[in-house]
Amino acid sequence: MQNAVMATLKVEKHYRMGEQVLKALKGVSVGIGQGDFVAVMGPSGSGKSTFMNMLGCLDSPSSGQILLKGTDVTRMSAAELATVRNRHIGFVFQQFNLLPRTTALDNVMLPLLYTAMPRAQARERARHCLELVGLGKRLDHHPSQLSGGQQQRVAIARALVNEPDIILADEPTGALDTETGLEIMALFQQLHQQGKTLVLVTHEPDIAAFASRQLVFRDGLLLTDRQSSPLDAQQALADFRQHRLAEALK
Amino acid sequence: MNSLMLLNVAWVALRVNLLRSILTMLGIIIGVAAVIIMLALGSGARYEVDQQIKNLGGNVFIVFSRMRFMGGAQQGGTGQSLTEMDALAIENQIPQVTVAAPMVQSSGQVIYGNLNWAPSILGVDNKIYQAQSWSLAEGRTFTETELSSAGRVAVIGQTVKRELFGASDPLGQTVRINKVPVTIIGVLNGKGQNTQGNDQDDIVFMPIDTVRKRISGITLSSPKAVRSIVVQVASDRDMPLVEQELDALLRQRLRTTANDPPFRIRNLSEMVETRAQTMQIFNGLLAAVASVSLLVGGIGIMNIMLVSVTERTREIGLRMAVGARPADILRQFLIEAVLLCALGGALGLTLALGTTWAVEHFLGYTAIIEPQVVLMSIGFSALIGVFFGYYPARKASRLQPIEALRYE
Ligand SMILES: Nc1ncnc2c1ncn2[C@@H]1O[C@H](COP(=O)(O)OP(=O)(O)OP(=O)(O)O)[C@@H](O)[C@H]1O
Ligand SMILES: [Mg+2]
Repeated sequence: MQNAVMATLKVEKHYRMGEQVLKALKGVSVGIGQGDFVAVMGPSGSGKSTFMNMLGCLDSPSSGQILLKGTDVTRMSAAELATVRNRHIGFVFQQFNLLPRTTALDNVMLPLLYTAMPRAQARERARHCLELVGLGKRLDHHPSQLSGGQQQRVAIARALVNEPDIILADEPTGALDTETGLEIMALFQQLHQQGKTLVLVTHEPDIAAFASRQLVFRDGLLLTDRQSSPLDAQQALADFRQHRLAEALK
Repeated sequence: MNSLMLLNVAWVALRVNLLRSILTMLGIIIGVAAVIIMLALGSGARYEVDQQIKNLGGNVFIVFSRMRFMGGAQQGGTGQSLTEMDALAIENQIPQVTVAAPMVQSSGQVIYGNLNWAPSILGVDNKIYQAQSWSLAEGRTFTETELSSAGRVAVIGQTVKRELFGASDPLGQTVRINKVPVTIIGVLNGKGQNTQGNDQDDIVFMPIDTVRKRISGITLSSPKAVRSIVVQVASDRDMPLVEQELDALLRQRLRTTANDPPFRIRNLSEMVETRAQTMQIFNGLLAAVASVSLLVGGIGIMNIMLVSVTERTREIGLRMAVGARPADILRQFLIEAVLLCALGGALGLTLALGTTWAVEHFLGYTAIIEPQVVLMSIGFSALIGVFFGYYPARKASRLQPIEALRYE
């Protein structure tokens, strides 16, 4: 835990619902190591998203600590947390959350606009990241001119652009069909091989199998934390296409 | 994010909802236009008053003889008329009076070659230059001999010069005025129109006796009778006092105690001021319209910014997630409100320019838009943007990132 990129210590999150108090997290302690590829699993309502929002410094815990490279962020102001998210964390959302009527390039540049980086350099970085996710020819497309998979790739490029210490993805394949989902997973695996630290939420075991570590939540508690050798998403994608071709020929 | 980029973001946001943005600006547009028109008419009126007072030679009374000179024989019969001696008495006996210039008036045709023109023909002596602030563009004033012997000479105004002589030199030329040959000895500097729109330069000065004896052809009750006396007072503080003294002196000289004496004392700058006051009432009305529409416009801006913040909650959440601090969000929405108002101000300015042009051309008012008013109005509308945009912007900046992201 000491050399973890991010760690939670006895994190609890309580929501007050009128008279009742709903405990979404009931004391979760876990460390995410440098270069980990973690899948967060569990039934609906088990606290996966709540946990991810804690890691992402988007929400603050009711008690416990959240450490980013050993520094507790729970007492930071809104402005300081914004800077932490800007420098250290990349987000990928289920619904992509791209700005409409804004080009792919400008969408990817967005995080850099909140830094002091000169515009030309930011533009260059954003272009590089879009090439990395295979959208080098779509720089000037608006989100409405892109497919779901392409939109999610733009979102991934946006998460990469500030070279974060950790990338957090909450159900990134949730809004995509199987094949596009596999393509996105192959992209994540590629990023993992390049040394990125990734945490992604999914309730599909097929998707979780591409990660090298699985965290299973139930009722606000971390139930299981296991390592596994990941399946190859590229291979799975090839198999899927083969299978579909065979179906079509039948 | 620097301000230029924020301005661009704001511009894009306004353009997306173009019609809504323009409708929102309407209050500001009308308010700013009303303010500018009000100030322009105010400056115009002040300019006119100043100009008139300057043209009248500062603090001037005109005493009119109520006797009629025109249409053949003099009417009013009792022989009571102002005379040149009254003018002298006013000048000598009222110490605050600097000069009192006698004047008679006639109409007449001025013929030069095959051109003819009908200006006002005024019989005066050389005191008129000081009393009414006239000056000569060229030539000379009347000599003593010309004044005492009803000399056939004239000084003409700019309009008369233009109409009869065009570009050629009038000095030394002879014209016929009511068939009498008259030599032009001088040309007056121009004064332009007065507030009533009359051309002040459409005049001819001739020695007072010349008009009485040779031009008007009217039999007068007294050989020295005058139509009016232009009385100039040293300082405007003395105006009320001089008015009383004039009344007393003339009653005594004309031996009348009547409620309705045979003369009338008028103060021309008062007439001008009256007109300026009418303008002020109009201005007050405009000021009311302006403040109401600026207030309504400001509230409209606030309303639309609140709508905009709600509509863009997810965008705000996303910006916060990728690193926008509350201050960045505050600035973004504040700049959007300011841009909305400043554009409204610019459109209001355009509207005001058109309206003042129309008012000048069709209603004949003078309207002056001063440069600082232009800057002020746009600056002021931007300030309205800051004032009414602050609350929605602060609301946006205080959103919790996670709640904003989840907003449906
Ligand atoms: N803002 C909130 N107010 C009240 N309760 C909340 C809030 N957010 C989450 N919860 C509750 O906390 C619990 C955990 O929610 P969470 O979103 O973390 O579940 P999840 O594991 O992500 O589920 P899913 O797989 O459906 O996304 C749920 O019971 C949910 O109702
Ligand atoms: Mg969830």
